[in-house]
Amino acid sequence: MAHPLQLGLQDASSPIMEELLYFHDHALMIVFLISSLVLYTISLMLTTKLMHTSTMNAQMVETMWTILPAAILTSIALPSLRILYMTDEINNPLLTIKTMGHQWYWSYEYTDYMDLNFDSYMIPTLDLKPGELRLLEVDNRTVLPMETPIRMLISSEDVLHSWAVPSLGLKTDAIPGRLNQTTLSATRPGLFYGQCSEICGSNHSFMPIVLELIPLKHFETWSALTS
Amino acid sequence: MAAVPEPGEPGKGKPFKLLGILDVENIPCARDSILYGSLGSVVAGLGHFLLTSRIRRSCDVGVGGFILVTLGCWFHCRYNYAKQRIQQRIAREGIKNKVLYESTHLDPERKPTNGNHSN
Repeated sequence: MAHPLQLGLQDASSPIMEELLYFHDHALMIVFLISSLVLYTISLMLTTKLMHTSTMNAQMVETMWTILPAAILTSIALPSLRILYMTDEINNPLLTIKTMGHQWYWSYEYTDYMDLNFDSYMIPTLDLKPGELRLLEVDNRTVLPMETPIRMLISSEDVLHSWAVPSLGLKTDAIPGRLNQTTLSATRPGLFYGQCSEICGSNHSFMPIVLELIPLKHFETWSALTS
Repeated sequence: MAAVPEPGEPGKGKPFKLLGILDVENIPCARDSILYGSLGSVVAGLGHFLLTSRIRRSCDVGVGGFILVTLGCWFHCRYNYAKQRIQQRIAREGIKNKVLYESTHLDPERKPTNGNHSN
């Protein structure tokens, strides 16, 4: 989850999110260098007494400021496309979970090996126990096995929603009448928080997502107890 | 969970960000690239000035040197970092496989035996 006043990306807990973090570092370095160049150019403009009023052509500089941006954009686009195609890979998911967006809660269905479905409502602030996170905790967490590719099928029962978990690098729209698929694979156990990411009404900010990733052995025990 | 301080929290001191965007403390290779870039900028700018005595042009050369050296170090360092990550992943998988499959027929260190087993 994010810490207070956090501006940057959350720590990665999936291979895709790690790749996204590295790409973000790369893009940020390029942005920093371009910003430095622009600031320097501005300072040059401010500190000259000369005024050239009869420029007719400037072939060299025009060539440079065409080729260099093209090269910069290529150096950003190639890693970006690599990650884009990586997110579309499907690595034999072992489990499929359906999630439906409602106004204003998520419901989850585990239908592979058991017949389990439950709703996941946000815990109101007044009902939180000490130490729990405001606007992020839910009554029923989504329990999943870690280090396992899991297929998430996402849709909606009413309006547009979006199922997002930033630390796993996931965000998929929940569209009524359409089934969207995403694959998730967490590298470590823990609680991963997300929030609805598509405006869906008055309580759009109050329908969080909490994934509880546990070792496969414990997940098997949990599923045996709940089915 | 709330008791453990997260990295970058105000209690630990804000991370230093160049121009407010580049976190040189936490981004791998950023600090080295900026430092080498600064060194390259000073060397190039000063060298140009000593040769030509042109101040403005030397500043331009310095800035150009900073950008080129920073970019060059950045790409070189990130390429090596990516190779290292891949090697770490292979090593981690190898250790896991060794622990899992030790003394079984899938043991990666087991030498294949060609003789027939007797009943």
